[in-house]
Amino acid sequence: MNRALVSGPIVWLGIIITTCLLLVLFQTALWLVIPVLLAVVAYYLLSPLVNMAMARGLTRARSVLIVTILLTLFLIMIGLILAPKISSMIHNGPGKIKEYSETAVGLFNNAQQTLTKYFPFLHHAPPPAQSVGVVGVNLSTATPESDLGHEVSDLTDKYSGDIALELLHWIPSLLLIPYLTYFFLLDGPRFKRFLVQAIPNAFFEKTLYLFYRVDDQLRRYFQGLLALTALDAMCLGVGLWLLGIDNPFLLAAIAAVMAWLPYLGSICGCLLIVLIAAHDFPGPHWLPYEVVGLFVAVRLLDDFVFLPLTVGRSMEMHPLVTVLMILLGGAVAGISGLLLVMPVLGVVMVIGQIVGELAMDARIIARYRHACELRRRRARADLTHER
Amino acid sequence: MLFGAKNSSNPRLQLLKDVVLFKDLSMRELAMVDSLMHERRYLADEIIFDEGEEGQGLFVVLSGRVKIARFASPLEMLIELGPGAFFGEVALLDQSVRSAQARALEDVQIAVLFRAEFYSLLETHSAIASRISFQLARVLAARLRQAVANTDRHHEAA
Repeated sequence: MNRALVSGPIVWLGIIITTCLLLVLFQTALWLVIPVLLAVVAYYLLSPLVNMAMARGLTRARSVLIVTILLTLFLIMIGLILAPKISSMIHNGPGKIKEYSETAVGLFNNAQQTLTKYFPFLHHAPPPAQSVGVVGVNLSTATPESDLGHEVSDLTDKYSGDIALELLHWIPSLLLIPYLTYFFLLDGPRFKRFLVQAIPNAFFEKTLYLFYRVDDQLRRYFQGLLALTALDAMCLGVGLWLLGIDNPFLLAAIAAVMAWLPYLGSICGCLLIVLIAAHDFPGPHWLPYEVVGLFVAVRLLDDFVFLPLTVGRSMEMHPLVTVLMILLGGAVAGISGLLLVMPVLGVVMVIGQIVGELAMDARIIARYRHACELRRRRARADLTHER
Repeated sequence: MLFGAKNSSNPRLQLLKDVVLFKDLSMRELAMVDSLMHERRYLADEIIFDEGEEGQGLFVVLSGRVKIARFASPLEMLIELGPGAFFGEVALLDQSVRSAQARALEDVQIAVLFRAEFYSLLETHSAIASRISFQLARVLAARLRQAVANTDRHHEAA
């Protein structure tokens, strides 16, 4: 992350354990954690606008009010655009999900047949023992004629009815976002000063310096991430439009947002659009493979051009740590763990590294003990004297 | 208020008004600067910062006395500062290390303006920040003249 913050294995063990505990804790209040997280992202994205308004002579309160009103209008506009689609999803949800599941099975069978056609030896290859697919279906025994389709159909019948209604439950929570963002923007600096009051004098200057660096890094990270998402969505949208897929820019935006989850998000986004392409253009068609090619091309463009230009390498973590932590997050807290593990890890990592660094600084610890001793001496100054 | 007093009722403003760096600012502008400052209280003999530490901000003495000293042998006391004085001002400009140690001689109340906050002030309220910068430049120029005069006197005496 940076040169000054290098942690040892014990600090890292603490960081991982704390992250897992927080993920389990957050799972119980997900309705609050998600809006707070999104409001923090909005805070970092909108701060420059507030600063611009303040630079033009407006007070902080007025600047924040104007920016929040603009954000609310923007969200209402998005809501009005998406409302018919969400309504149709709720109305046709179970049926559509079933259709897409059947398409997925068809795509799988199609891919199997294509592979067998070009690589005949696969036809005689024994199936791997007890391999299990992503939907919990035993793929090793599945053939186009087998009951794979029935198993998927049963699963979708069981769960698809709840998915659309579950989305509706999130609307009140998401309405919290502009409200929280307003107060983060208005009272953020005062809240920071309030927190800083709790830092002992000996740690004050160093902690605050690291705090500002982290704050600055987070700001640049979220602003870069937004720029990266916009670039990704634009490139994918143009590609999907050229391939003739319906709603290309909406699908591209969804896939670009899914890519916020490192590695797995990109794969899931790609699979989603491949599925839609296969559903919209049934039959033997190269389109799904062209979509995969498009995703690979955009991914390469992302890694070599867009990422260095936007997010940069300041927040980069080792790829192995990233993937392991995503899997660990999923294991301890399910889907919420998958979604929250990276931001939670990022914050816990920084706090852990700061605490680790301060704890290793012998001079600062000595100054802290000296100050504590002065306070103790002051507190018991006249206890042994007669008044 | 949970997160601190409102500016209108903040007694720090009168104290800050007497600081040379802020003397060109109106009360409204001073309130803006004050909203960026952190208040700290140190007991007598407590170290405020150490010589050789990376400097991060400007310290303004609101009450009490502060001793600035160097780790020479014996400890060389450079100056004693009282209310209205400020120290560590070079840290507003760059990340250089502190050239001396600051220690509270008696219980002190200090307001701290961090470099990061000062830079954000440059972005959002450049007129205020430029007035502070101008005063800072004048203070540093006066110190440079004083240092040159001291050196000249030292050479003449030698």
